[in-house]
Formats: sequence, structure tokens, C-alpha cells
Amino acid sequence: MKIVVCVKAVPSSTEVRFDPVSHTIIRDGKQAVINPFDAAALECALRIRETAGAHVTTLSMGIPDTVRILRDTVARGADEAVLLSDRAFAGSDTLATSYALACAVRKTGVPDLLICGKMAVDGDTAQIGPELAAALGIPAVTNVKEILSVGEDRIGVIRESDDGEQEVSVCLPALITVVKSIVDPRMPSIAGIRAAEAAAVSVWTAEEIGADPERTGLAGSATQVVRTFSPERKKECVYIEGSAVEQADRLRALVEELS
Amino acid sequence: MNIYELTQEYEIYLRDESRSIGHAASISFPENEAEMREIIMQMNAGGTPVTIQGGRTGLAAGAVPYGGHVMNLSKMDQLLDVTAEDGRYSFTVRPGMVLANLRKIIAGRKIDPEKMRSGPDAALAFINDREYFFPTDPTETSATIGGIAACNASGARSYKFGAARNHITRIRMILADGRIADIRRGEVFASGRRLVLPLTDGSSISAEIPSYQMPACKNASGYYARHDMDAVDLLIGSDGTLGAISEIGIELLPLPAYIWGVSCFLQDEDRAVRLTNALRDGFRNLAAIEYFDKGALDILREQKRKNTAFSALPALKKEYSCCIYAEIQEEDESAALQTLLQIGKCLTACGGREEDTWVARSDTDRETQQFFRHAVPESVNMLIDERKKTDPSITKLAGDMAVPDEHLAEVMHMYRETLAAAGLQSAVWGHMGNNHLHVNILPRDSRDYSLGKQLIAGWAEKVTAMGGAVSAEHGVGKLKRDFLAIMYGSARIEEMAALKKAFDPKGIFGRGNLFAAEVMVPSAGREAVPAGERETEAAE
Amino acid sequence: MSGIIIDHEKCILCRKCLRACPVSALEMANGRICVKDLCNLCTMCVDACPKGAISLAAAEAAYDDRSSGIWLYAQVSESGLCKVSCELVSKAAELAAEAKARSGELCEVTALLPSGDAEMASELISCGADSVLYCDHAYLRTGDPDAAAAWIVSLVQERHPGILLFPATVSGREIAPACAAMLGTGLTADCTSLQVDRESGLLHQTRPAFGGNLMATIVCPGSRPQMATVREGVFPVRRREDPAGSATIEEAPFPGNFLPRRSIRAVLQEAADSYDVTKAEKLVVVGRGIGSKKNLPLMREFADRIGAGLGCSRPLVEAGWCEYSHQVGQTGHSVAPKLLISIGVSGAIQHLAGIAGAEKIIAINTDAKAPIFGAADYGIVGDCISVVKDFLTK
Repeated sequence: MKIVVCVKAVPSSTEVRFDPVSHTIIRDGKQAVINPFDAAALECALRIRETAGAHVTTLSMGIPDTVRILRDTVARGADEAVLLSDRAFAGSDTLATSYALACAVRKTGVPDLLICGKMAVDGDTAQIGPELAAALGIPAVTNVKEILSVGEDRIGVIRESDDGEQEVSVCLPALITVVKSIVDPRMPSIAGIRAAEAAAVSVWTAEEIGADPERTGLAGSATQVVRTFSPERKKECVYIEGSAVEQADRLRALVEELS
Repeated sequence: MNIYELTQEYEIYLRDESRSIGHAASISFPENEAEMREIIMQMNAGGTPVTIQGGRTGLAAGAVPYGGHVMNLSKMDQLLDVTAEDGRYSFTVRPGMVLANLRKIIAGRKIDPEKMRSGPDAALAFINDREYFFPTDPTETSATIGGIAACNASGARSYKFGAARNHITRIRMILADGRIADIRRGEVFASGRRLVLPLTDGSSISAEIPSYQMPACKNASGYYARHDMDAVDLLIGSDGTLGAISEIGIELLPLPAYIWGVSCFLQDEDRAVRLTNALRDGFRNLAAIEYFDKGALDILREQKRKNTAFSALPALKKEYSCCIYAEIQEEDESAALQTLLQIGKCLTACGGREEDTWVARSDTDRETQQFFRHAVPESVNMLIDERKKTDPSITKLAGDMAVPDEHLAEVMHMYRETLAAAGLQSAVWGHMGNNHLHVNILPRDSRDYSLGKQLIAGWAEKVTAMGGAVSAEHGVGKLKRDFLAIMYGSARIEEMAALKKAFDPKGIFGRGNLFAAEVMVPSAGREAVPAGERETEAAE
Repeated sequence: MSGIIIDHEKCILCRKCLRACPVSALEMANGRICVKDLCNLCTMCVDACPKGAISLAAAEAAYDDRSSGIWLYAQVSESGLCKVSCELVSKAAELAAEAKARSGELCEVTALLPSGDAEMASELISCGADSVLYCDHAYLRTGDPDAAAAWIVSLVQERHPGILLFPATVSGREIAPACAAMLGTGLTADCTSLQVDRESGLLHQTRPAFGGNLMATIVCPGSRPQMATVREGVFPVRRREDPAGSATIEEAPFPGNFLPRRSIRAVLQEAADSYDVTKAEKLVVVGRGIGSKKNLPLMREFADRIGAGLGCSRPLVEAGWCEYSHQVGQTGHSVAPKLLISIGVSGAIQHLAGIAGAEKIIAINTDAKAPIFGAADYGIVGDCISVVKDFLTK
């Protein structure tokens, strides 16, 4: 069977430091990392390969440096990695991103199974998985917490739903998005890293995947940011000073007063 | 200034991580140096012993009081200053600063520049500079910097960076009579073994440095003693016996851009020793070489199966018998990669396989590896707690000994043979790069327990014969002073007592640490120590 | 190509934009400021520029609009109409009023009700719906998201609503993106504010963005419908004041060409851990600042002592210390207790959005600059473990 795993490069930390004087953001200079949900998605694919046999391709869209993250997926066991990188993709929203990913997936031949992380930690939209599935015309099962069975033409999973859990059996080809806790990702071995260094990561442009320029990047994005702002500080905070014991005493009084 | 009676409410302050329990009459939580000084002078006047406490994470009962007063410094945890010299940053901290908090301050630049003693400039430069770190990395991050200085703590990375003393640039210490020593590294030296220590009030203390030769290996056994030594090195590692530290200067190092952890799994211990020797000989830039034996891995496997808190541990293949962990630190990625691939070749040459390794290059993977490494001592403690339920007299027994490089294979064989002969269960882990293993004996019953105690005493003698140290990082405290006597002999112990007497004539500080209180007062006036307390030994 | 445009005539090379950029997407090259591909269009540089030399590529000419009306997807669960459905219909009615005030034209609110009953329909009407479209079909009853998407898309293509809102439930977040992709339109997740812009008439959709450090207002200028999802508890339920005499209830048929591709069986009703953090009148919320999982029992003891519920911030759920049911914040549960004691929570925007309803907030944190203090009535800067221990010793 063929499996494609979509991965995204995200900042290593979503915590941001502010310079106390200039009030600007201090960059930590750390390299981007694989979205942890996508790392779990890759591990799922590798485990399916171990039991049922599969060819696992990782796919990402991003700046050229994302090759580093894709190479890491090969070190962990992916058979092949593809990066979509082109200035034409810059500024893509979820609609334009899922369109470009769909073009790339069609170019490789639609696989039996696509696995995505439930969401990216830097965007939180959780939209790419289901939008990509819709663009490919295949069903999407989101929030998968356990894979029960992988057959020739169906996959059985347990997913988290609004009021509990559901067992879903879906026809292949299909796309699933997985929660982070589904499996713990393995670490690469020295042997894996040695192999990944020798492996080629394909880098495809918009033209190479036959994407319509009107539907990629900024031009293909339906949404647009018009304004960003820091939320206002609404309240004036009364600080309780003193030693921990004194603070605890004051806290006790406050809890009583406000209860 | 508040001194409280040591009632039940304060009971936890009678214990530390060594799990031995002491006794005391009173306790205080001073919030500044003036309060510390006032309490100390009052106690000294009455001849009341003072035991200084930080995070109570010590494993040798150094912070467990044997009577008198407990001075807990947990409220003195501020960052006082950031300074920059020759492109390096130093922090001045209060002794109660917790290591985890220090790390947060460093990593998150959680500093208010306006509050720094020598002005905001260095702090502002630090906030905008690259990342830095404090290289001393004991496993227990709730340790305090004061405690780290008092026992000269280490950690895995001391393989490269050495123990805490290498990164401590200044100690400010209150003596028993209230005078203050404020010593910067590189300013005051002994002349031969004679030290004249200047104090802030213009007076000075004269003392004789003990005459022993320290072992040529990692060492936290007794006072630092060397010809023409820097005075600050005497104060570091003095186990709370010379005075109370009120400020510490520490130097930070630039955090290497690439820190990769490599766990190599091997089929037997001989290959692990061979790999350690090969890594030591072949690589200059490894920050740590750590070891986990089969006993340790088996306990992990068991805990992973039984305990949900450990279920996230990566699976250990059946054939993995032991593990060598090496940490690569490099400034550029291609150098790190070259080192990694070289380690792979080295591993193959030592009879291992590149497939049987875990490489952590991202924070997530590093966290997983750290979880794995920390799970070892934690699961051993859980196992002992379980056994304690059937036999309350049992505690874990552990060695903390180190030997010079050439004796690594020999000391490993000694551990193995004596453990096998005694039929004891064990788990061994620690800093193999420094020939410093935590050999933990896991007694199943009281017979095992007493056998184990004899065994460790025997090791102390053999390790001393190899030119090693009976305590390499935990310090001597109260639990290992008999081993210290084996290592240096009673004449040298009396030299240590004489040195202490020069600082602390009434012997109020850290009574029972390094040597028994009696040694201080060779003739009359000995304080009777209840027999039961002297029994608690070597419980790590 | 990035949408950031730099006017090099106006630029004085002060580099304020370089410092403001959170992702280092700006650089100096050949004596001018350039935008690199990794720009994520956060517009921080636009605000930072003192000369107004930086702008965002303007929206394409406004959409030639034959679409009108505000739709929302009314989710139904085992226990009836979801509360969030009523919240959405109330918000839709508000937006309709804003649209009407701007253009003077009538703007209808339509609720899409899959597999519901008449009682639910009248409930939606009482909260502001002008019409309810329902469909009682087996595929919709099983909760197949493909079926729901197929039904909704067929209706949208036939009737052209201007705005389409979904609850940001698990199910809503599965159906809405599928609809958006099929319709080729934009979708904004987890909005905390929705407004019809007086000037352009576009729906201004505001949500936390860029790692929760900023709020971003997003529009969908060139395609219809403008789609957004909203979590439960973000907007209040409002009953309509005027009589809803003219409201209609209409059956909208299920598309004939639909082929189901999945079977669904509920295996667990109600999450195993059914703690409801939103019900507590007093709430202790703990965050990463408590340091270690070992300190959780201490916090639980504290909560029990003052008779409060226990919630947590998102990192604790991610670290596996707490169950999701305890998670407070925009990606967890929005709460509105009388008293909230926040312990060791730094206060990311998503978290602050989720506790905005609390009457009084006391925050304990070691970091005096933690954003949580900006939302708190009382602040204790100090080690939360010591304070709580000291609290409990007496």
C-alpha cells in the first residue's frame, strides 16, 4: 500500500520573549521543527508499514530549509520525501495550501492512505487535513486516536467525537488526521541518519505539480489578514507583596472575601 | 527575624533525599544576609549547632540536622546581579535559588535589568545576546545553587565541563562569629598549604590546608586541598562546615548551537567499557558519556509495563543489554553530523550496531531521552519503596565512587564479581566517562541489606587503593564520613577538623558533616550522639 | 510572493521592521529592506514602520455580490440541540442587524438543521433565525460528515448565502473545511469576535494568531460564503424580542447522488472523563509554572480546601498531566466562574480568551511580566508552590 504523510515545519517554541525596553519580539534563533502532531502521523505510517507493508512518502510545503525536516523524516524511516517550494506558494492560506498539496498528491498518484496531524501547533486551524481530502474527493476522518485495522480497501479507526468516541470504518483511499497521543514517535538511529544524508529529497515547483497560478499563494488565498494587534490590558492588577507566608495569608483572606 | 520552634509542622525539614531523618530544636527562614548573620551570631553565642539547608536534595544527609538549629535558605532565592567581562556573563545569586528556576531565568531572560546591582547594561546585553547556560547539571533540578556550591555538585556534563567549582567565580560566606569572607576566584591564594583568608572587616583567618593528595579523578570527598590553591576552592565543597554562603557568583557559557544525544545499545558490559574507552580516546567534543546496565534497563522495562507514568518510555528491544549515552556539542551542524557518523563507526568497531541507537536532535527527542535517563533512578526508588512495605528497614544502598581512567575495566569487574558473589540484585548507572558509576544495591530483605553495606565498605577500600574517590559527586555529608576516613586516614581527618576549627571554633556549622562532631573536640566536652543515628549510613 | 509591499521611496532604513518581525522574514539586502518567503503576513512590520512605508497588498476589488443572508450550521447531539447552535444563531441575528444598518437591505438568518425536530426548529427561531432548513435523512442521522457537507454544499450552491458559520466542535471542524474546499472559499477557525465592517461590508473575523501572541482580524474578500467557526461559550445566547411570526421552516432535500463511504458506530458515549470544568463557581487553574506533575496533588488539595474545581492550561494536557476535560482556554473550555485562581499560568492569548468570563481573577506566577497579570484583579508574584504550601499549613 502507498501512504503519504503531510508534515509542516513549525517554530521550535510558541513562547515569545519580549524585549523589556523596546517591546519588540526577541527571536530565539532556533531552527524550525516538525509539527509534533505530524511526527505522530509519520510514526503511524511507519507502524502500518511494519505490520502490513507500505511505501511511506512524506510531503511538505515550505521554504527551502524545510528539506532539513523532510530529511529527518527519512532518518526516522520514511521511504521518500517531497518538498513543494516556490515563491509562488508564499502567503498561502489553508485553501491555497490544500490545493497545492492536492496537486502534488495527484502527481505522485493518489495513495491508499493519507495521514496528517490533527493540527499544527503554530496555526491551530486543523483545516488542512479535511480541506485536502475534499480537494482530492476522498473522505477524511479527523481526530483519530487508534488504528484498529488496515485492510486492502478499508481502514478501521477509533476517533474522538463531540460526545465520546466513535469506531469508523472508511473506504480507501482516505485521509485520516491523528491526535498527538496516538503513538510516541521513534527517534532516528545513526544508521537512519546516515541513509537520510545520502537520500535525495525531491523539491517541486508550482509549475512542476501543474498548479494553476490563480489558485496558489496569495492569489489563491481566499482569506487575508487586515489587522493584527495585541489584546488590550483591561484590568488594573492589585499586587500582593511580601513573603510567601504573608502572600498566603492575604490569599486566604481574599478567597474568603470573594467567595 | 523569626526563629520557630521545630514542631510537627516543620517535620519535612528534618529530612533530605537521602531519606535519613534527623532532629532539631528550632528553624528559621531568613530573607536577607543581615537576618542570616544575626541568627548565626546568636546561635554561635549559645554554642548551638546550625545546619544549613537549600533544596534538601542531597544524598549524603548534609542538610539533615543532628540537633540545634536549622537555617533554611529557600527564601533567599533572588538573582542579584548580571555582569559581563571579556564577553562572558556572570550571575550573582542568593544560595536558595533553585537550579530549575535559574535555568528558566537564563533561557527565558526573565531578568529585570533595573533591579541589577551593578546597573542594567550587562543584563540588557545578556537579554539580547545568544543563548547561554550553566553547565552544572545534577539530575535533580530542585537543587539550590547554594547546595550545589556546598557539595561541589556535578552531573552528566561534568565529563566535559568539570564540577561546579569550575563555574563558580565568587563566594560570600558568613562565618560563625558574624564576620564575612567575600572571595573572588583569582584573588586570594594559599602559600603552600598555609592560607591567610582576608575578611571584609579587614581581619583575617589563618588556617592550615590538610596535607593529603587528592585523587586524580572526579572527587567530592572532603575539603579541596592543594599547594598554592585558590581560597575560593576551599569554600566550595566545604559541605556547610565552614560558614553559611550568602551569595554565589557563577559564570555562564554560551550554549552550543547543536546538542545531540546518542544512546547506543550494546549486548554486554565489556563492549560498553570498550566503547567508553574508544569515545574518550577518539573524541574531543563529547559533553557526557553515561552508562546504564542491564539491571537498570530491566527495571525500566518492568516499570514501563506496570506503571502508566512510564508507558511513554520508548520500547527497549529484548536484545538491548546495556546503554552508553554520549552527548555531542558542536557549533555547526556539519561538525555535529561528522562526529555522529564517527561515533557510529566507533560503535561498530566495538561490537555494536548503528541501527541500535537513538539519536536526539530536536527538543522533543531530547526530552524523550531525558525522560528515559531520569526514569532509571526514579523507577529504582519506586522498586525500593515497594520492598520497604514488606521490610521497613530496607533502603537503597549506593556507591558514588570514581577511579582514574586506567582503572575503569578493573573497577567494573570488581563491582560485578563482588555483587555476583554476594548474590545481590543491583542496578548500575552513571558517568562512565569519568569512571564514576552509581552502583545501586537493591536489597530484597534485611540480610541483603547488611550484606550490601559490607560490600560498599569493601569497595571504599579497593577504590582508595586504585587512587580513587569514595564520593565523586554527592559529597560526604554525614552518611559517607566513614568512607572518607578509609580514604584519607584518621590523621588527615584531624587536619580537616583543625581547619574547620580555624573558621568555626565552636563547631556550630554542619555538625556531623565530613567527620563526627567528636573529632572537633578530641578531649573533653563531647556531645553525645544517639547510637541510632550513627547507624544510618550509605543510604543514598 | 509575499503580500507585504515596501515603498523604498518612503523607507529610511531604520530597521524597526526587522526587529518587529517575529519570524525573521525581513532582511537588508543590497541596501534595501527585502521580504523573504517565510513571511507569514502577520503585519507586525506594517505597524512598526514609522514612515508608513510598509503595506499589505490590498484586497482584490470587492466581490460582485449576488449572495446575501447569514447561515449557520445548527449541530444536534444525542441530548438535543447543542448550546453552541443557539449561541451561533444569536450571533447571526446580531450580524444581520449590523448588515441591515449598513445597507438598509433586509438580511435573513437561516439555520441549517440536519435530522432535527420541530421543537429544535422553534428553539432556533426563538434565538433569532428567520428560517430553518431541515432534512431528515438516514445519512445525516448517522453523523457522516461527508453527507452533511454534501447537503450543505448543494444548498449553498443553490441559494448563495453571504456568510456561513459553524460551531468549532469536533464535528463542525470536520464538516466546515470540507465545505470550504468544495466551495473554494475561505474559512477562519475559532473566531472570538465577528463583526460586519461598516465600510466594506465584509465580515471581520478575529482570532488569536501567530502562536497566540497576537490577535488577527481576517477577511474573505473575493469568495462567498465567508466562513468561520466559533467555539462554545464565546458568544451569549439571546432570545429575540420581536415576534417571529413570519419565520419559516422548510425541508431541504438531501442530494440524490451521494454515496456513503464510511460506517460509524459510537463506542463510547460521553468522554470517559466527564468532568465539567465550566460548571465550577470557584475554579483553580494550574499551568506549567507548577513545575512538575508531582505538584498536582498539592494543587488538588488546595482546590478541595477552598471548595473549587480544578482546571489547567493547555501545556498540561499536552504533557499528559491532566485530561482534556480540565483544559481551560480557547482551545479547551471557556469558563465563567465567580472566582478564578490562576496558578503558574503565563496566560497566552488563547488562555486569556477562555477565562475572560471570570468575575474575579487572582493570579500567582513567578514571572512579574507574565501576561496573566494583565487579566487579573489580584496578583501574587512569587513561587506558587511555596504560597500554596504556606496556605495549606494553616
